[in-house]
Amino acid sequence: MRTLLGLGFLVLMAPCPLQILAAQERTTVGGYGEVHYTNRTGPKTPAVVNLARFVVYLAHSFDDRLAFRSELEVEDAKVEGGKPGGEVALEQAYLDYRLGDWVTLRTGLVLAPIGIINETHEPPTFNGVERPGFDTDVIPTTWREIGVGAVGTIPGGSGLAYRVYLVNGLRADGLSAAEGIREGRQEGRQASFANPSFTGRVEWARPGVKIGGSFWYGGTADTNAAVGTGAFGAPVALVSADARYDSGPFALRAVVANISVSDAQAINAAYGQSVGSRIAGGYVEGAYNLLRALAPASSQKLNAFLRHERYDTQASVPAGVTRDRSLARRITTFGLTYKPTWNTAFKGDYRLLRNAAGAGELEVLSLGVGYQF
Amino acid sequence: MLAVALLLLGAQSPAAPPAKLAASIARVFGPGARTDTLRVDTVTVLRVSRADSLVGFAAVGNVLGKDQPITFLVAIDPTDRLKDVDILVYREPYGGEVAYEAWRRQFRGKSAGDSLRAGKEIRSISGATISVHAVTHGVRQMLADLTAWHRSGAIR
Repeated sequence: MRTLLGLGFLVLMAPCPLQILAAQERTTVGGYGEVHYTNRTGPKTPAVVNLARFVVYLAHSFDDRLAFRSELEVEDAKVEGGKPGGEVALEQAYLDYRLGDWVTLRTGLVLAPIGIINETHEPPTFNGVERPGFDTDVIPTTWREIGVGAVGTIPGGSGLAYRVYLVNGLRADGLSAAEGIREGRQEGRQASFANPSFTGRVEWARPGVKIGGSFWYGGTADTNAAVGTGAFGAPVALVSADARYDSGPFALRAVVANISVSDAQAINAAYGQSVGSRIAGGYVEGAYNLLRALAPASSQKLNAFLRHERYDTQASVPAGVTRDRSLARRITTFGLTYKPTWNTAFKGDYRLLRNAAGAGELEVLSLGVGYQF
Repeated sequence: MLAVALLLLGAQSPAAPPAKLAASIARVFGPGARTDTLRVDTVTVLRVSRADSLVGFAAVGNVLGKDQPITFLVAIDPTDRLKDVDILVYREPYGGEVAYEAWRRQFRGKSAGDSLRAGKEIRSISGATISVHAVTHGVRQMLADLTAWHRSGAIR
């Protein structure tokens, strides 16, 4: 991350520069982005190249305690009326008021603190060109809503940190069989606050290890009494657990989630969908840094990785819905991530997209480059 | 004497509250250590002694995290080995894991000649990568400076 003054990794000793740093208002810019090459198997599927994400991070500290932080994203390089794809969106925009290590108050458009990728989504932080399918269809990254909450660490050297928010809820009319709750997100755009929702996370960390548990709870009915009534009518309840472990050349990560859509039957009746009453799954991923063997002195990384995902957006279905077994997905991805620095990545991978019905299966070769600063 | 020294330092560096600095010195060097301030160019170094014998040096630095300065302390013993690192003020909402003892203790016993790289000799923490790299960089620089000043006699 660089300041506008271009100071970069700034090391200053006491006393004088300290005062400058602490007292002045300061604006920081940063960013991340990724470019993808995607080639699917099958007839008439030429390779596609896409500037998938270009994100500008803009932050300003007003004083020692009060700061603004934001991410503005352009997806697919260009937005043009009447053409598919392309999006300009705020991924985050909030004010933080820091009371101490144990609590920072936050309000604005915030990231749901669920799973691994939703909050830590910069391309150099994960293997594979595309985010895992699980982090699209089960945990709908990048999931952000407007609300208030608190973040902090639990004092006493416990290694525990938390985030908890009250935000606007999902909208039942966006829920679907294939993408679960994804299009139920409101993302800060004229969002209905008819169904406030709670979301939060507790995580435990030590060097090389991070273990977290997350939740989301809230209604989806908006004003449709046929789906549910009351602020917490027709709740969606999500629980998720995740773990990351790094040791020498090895890196492991795993995430699981279970989402119960309490009145999927009413939602399906109201909106003509076949939403599952339970959406569940997860993935495990292992990686090995080949440079540990090839060039032990190097601080660069060449990670060979293998990830296996299993998830089903119709893990259970309400009465009246016939399960579509092609929604029970099994995705295996293997490939390489070359990181000349910790914040740049060149990626290549091969994905086997399978499902329990054996329908519409395909394979995808992807290449990509990503950065953050 | 400790109080006076810390007051002076406190007046000069509002970002590192004197109480926190005093607590940090007491934690690293044990209670009852005497602290004198030394100046090297514009930098303040704390000389720590007990019963008239030198037990080490300490200095406070800042390094930029994602968008806020991270205020840290580096303490060395009389043989220029790193005694401990402390995070005096952490201002950002993410990456605060660098203040955890389990992460900081990786620096103990290191010398200026040792390789200190985030993700190599110093294990990283998922979700705290920026702060891990920033603090590691800052500590490495501070350890090198303190060692050079001690060996040249600029601090003694």
